[in-house]
Order: sequence, then C-alpha cells, then structure tokens
Amino acid sequence: MSIGALIGIFLGVALVNNLVLAGFLGICPFLGVSRKVDMAFGMGCAVTFVITVSGVVTWLIVHGLLAPIGSAIFGPEHAGALFFLKYVAFIMVIASMVQLVEMYLRKFFPPLYTAFGVFLPLITTNCAILGTCLYIDMKPETQYLLNAAVYAFGGGIGFTLAITIMAGIREHIRFSDVPKAFQGAGITLLVAGILALAFSGFAGIGK
Amino acid sequence: MADENGSNLRQFREGILDNNPVLVQLLGMCPVLAVTNSLENALVMGAAATFVVVMSNLITSLLRHLIKPHVRILIFTLTIATFVTIADMALKAYMFEVSKKLGAFVPLIIVNCMIICRAEVVAIKNGVGRSLADAFGIGIGFTVALAILGVIRELMGSGTLTLPWGAQSWVLFQLSEGFEPHKWIVMVLPPGAFLTLGVVVGITNQIRARRKQGGAA
Repeated sequence: MSIGALIGIFLGVALVNNLVLAGFLGICPFLGVSRKVDMAFGMGCAVTFVITVSGVVTWLIVHGLLAPIGSAIFGPEHAGALFFLKYVAFIMVIASMVQLVEMYLRKFFPPLYTAFGVFLPLITTNCAILGTCLYIDMKPETQYLLNAAVYAFGGGIGFTLAITIMAGIREHIRFSDVPKAFQGAGITLLVAGILALAFSGFAGIGK
Repeated sequence: MADENGSNLRQFREGILDNNPVLVQLLGMCPVLAVTNSLENALVMGAAATFVVVMSNLITSLLRHLIKPHVRILIFTLTIATFVTIADMALKAYMFEVSKKLGAFVPLIIVNCMIICRAEVVAIKNGVGRSLADAFGIGIGFTVALAILGVIRELMGSGTLTLPWGAQSWVLFQLSEGFEPHKWIVMVLPPGAFLTLGVVVGITNQIRARRKQGGAA
C-alpha cells in the first residue's frame, strides 16, 4: 500500500467527505459544544482519540474475531455468519473507550473534565464514532488495518476542524442581531449549511 | 383509570407537538439531516426508528425494577442495539433498495439520542402503558418531522415525491419535463439539509412563540 493512497484516504475523509458537513455524523456535539473555541477543540481531540482507537479495535474484532470464528464454526463459505453481532460489539467497544477517556481526563485534566459535563459520556452516543466504524467495515479501501487506522484518524481530524471553525463563527454570532426565532439552533444550522456549501468545494479532490 | 388514560393520551400528543424530538428538543439530528433527501427514505427511516423506540421503551419499562442504576445506560444501549439489528435485517430482506440508500444510518439508530433519552426519562420510571404511549408519540413526531423535511427537499431538489411501496418505490408526483432546469440540486445535497432544517426550526420557534403569546393574553 503506497503512502499516496493513505494520504488520499486521509484527505478524502477529513475534507471531501467531512464527517459532519458532508456525512451528517456527530451533529449533536457539533451543535451542543460549539459555543467556545477551546472547548470545541478539546471535544474534537477527545473524539479523535476515541474514533481512532475504536476504529482499530472494531476492525480487529470483525477481521480477527467474528470472521475467523464464523468460518471455524460454519465453514469458510459462511464466514459472515456471526456478523449480526457487529453492532452490539461495536457499541460495547465505543462505550468502554469513552469510559477510558473519561477516567483519564478526570485524573489529568480536571478543568476540561468539568467543562465537558454531560457531553463527555455522550461521546458514546456520538454517531461520528459508530458511523466511522461502520464505514470502515463497509468500504473496500479500508480492508487493511493501516488504512482503517488512517481513515479513523482522518475522520477525527475532520470532525475537530468542523467543530472548531463552527465555534469560531459562533463566538462572533453572539454579537450580531439575529431574529428571535432563529436564535440558538436555527442560526447555527444556517451557518452549518453555508459551511457545508464551502466544504463541498473540496469535492473532486482525490478520487 | 380514566385519569390514567387521559395522561397517556397527553403524553402521546406531547411527543408529536409540544415536545417534538426533532423540531423542539433537537435530538437525533443526524438521520434527520442525512436521509431526508427524499420522502421515501424519510418515511422508512421514521418507521424503523419508531419500531426501535417502541420496543426499547417496552423492554425497559418491563425490566425497570430489575435494572440497577449504574448499568442502566449499558442496558439501554444493548436493548436498542438488538432491535436495531432486527430492523436492519428486516429492511435488508423486504426493502433492499431503500436500505441500500439509507446505508449506515439504519445501524446508526443505535446512537440516536432521542431513543436513549426516552428510556432514561420515561420508560425507566413509568409503567408499560405510559411508556408505550410516549414511544408512539415520539416515534410519530420524529416521522412527521422527517416527512416535512423530506417533502421540502425532494420537491425542490429533484421535483418528485416518492413513497415506499414494498420492494419498490411509488412515484406520487413528478414535475413536468419543462421544469427540469429549475431543479435546485443543492437541496438534495448536504448544504440543503442544514439550510432547510434551520429554516424549519426557525419557523417552529416562531409558531411556538406566537402560541405562547396567544395563550398568555
């Protein structure tokens, strides 16, 4: 596997098919934790870590556990027989990874831990993470472990990029005169729409 | 008993109107944005999510005396994951085309915060009747919100309206040939989703503020 292909995967998932702005994954934290730049960036880093580790571990579970055991029990032509366990296995991996990050932050970065509040355990239900694991499982280009790791890491970087840009814009919106009905979620979604429009300019790179 | 029924009905109606998961609570936004590029996808997604929320509320409510508080989130997630797997298999078996279009968003129902929120807020504390009423209300409210977005986006973006009909889709409405150049393709692309939802949420806020004002006066 050439390094060029890996860079292609990375740019593809971080910019062209940005998780948030083109793939609609992780909208809840994108709207919820994007009020301040430093918090948004911290959230992005936490998500990037969880995404990378979960992407690798779920790849290992599918290719190292479910497929071999399935083919051992039901014969090689039915290697996918245990794949119905995928979703349950994925969500268990993600939940335990989030637990790990939570313990780590509470011990070493207490201010960040209190700032995140309820959004930290909610990373478990962040669809960006489960979504990336599912895409890694579906796409042909991530059939090797290294590609899967690069894909997951790129997804996390793309998420961090989107949420940080959003937070930067929202810090300015606070001082502008938004119609009452559109304050809060309304204007945030409209801004996200314009951002998505900007990101669609990346379409055509790679591929 | 009559009072019980009344409150169940209210719980049901609240999920659709005052407490709509998408337009008011802003929960479970990912599928709302992703699958509403056609009415067909929106309705199938709504039906799948309704099935999952009903079953998860039912099971959680039945088990509510057995679930220990510190493992409840794990139990919720596993319950939801089980029913999502069932829904995913059923869609793949009976509506393969639509399930291909929905892609990863069917398994992503597992992490839809709307469903886990209903288990946490209602089903763990209330009886089966009330939990089911709540689940149906929330599920239908979710489907209605998806359908609103689906109609707007499909009509403006591709000039058609399609309904799910067994294994294939049924075209309800199609703009005539001359309108082809007037299609607003951005509406079926990601930016259109954000813009449409932003406008719809704004309109909903306006209507709610108006109604509150009217009620107070």
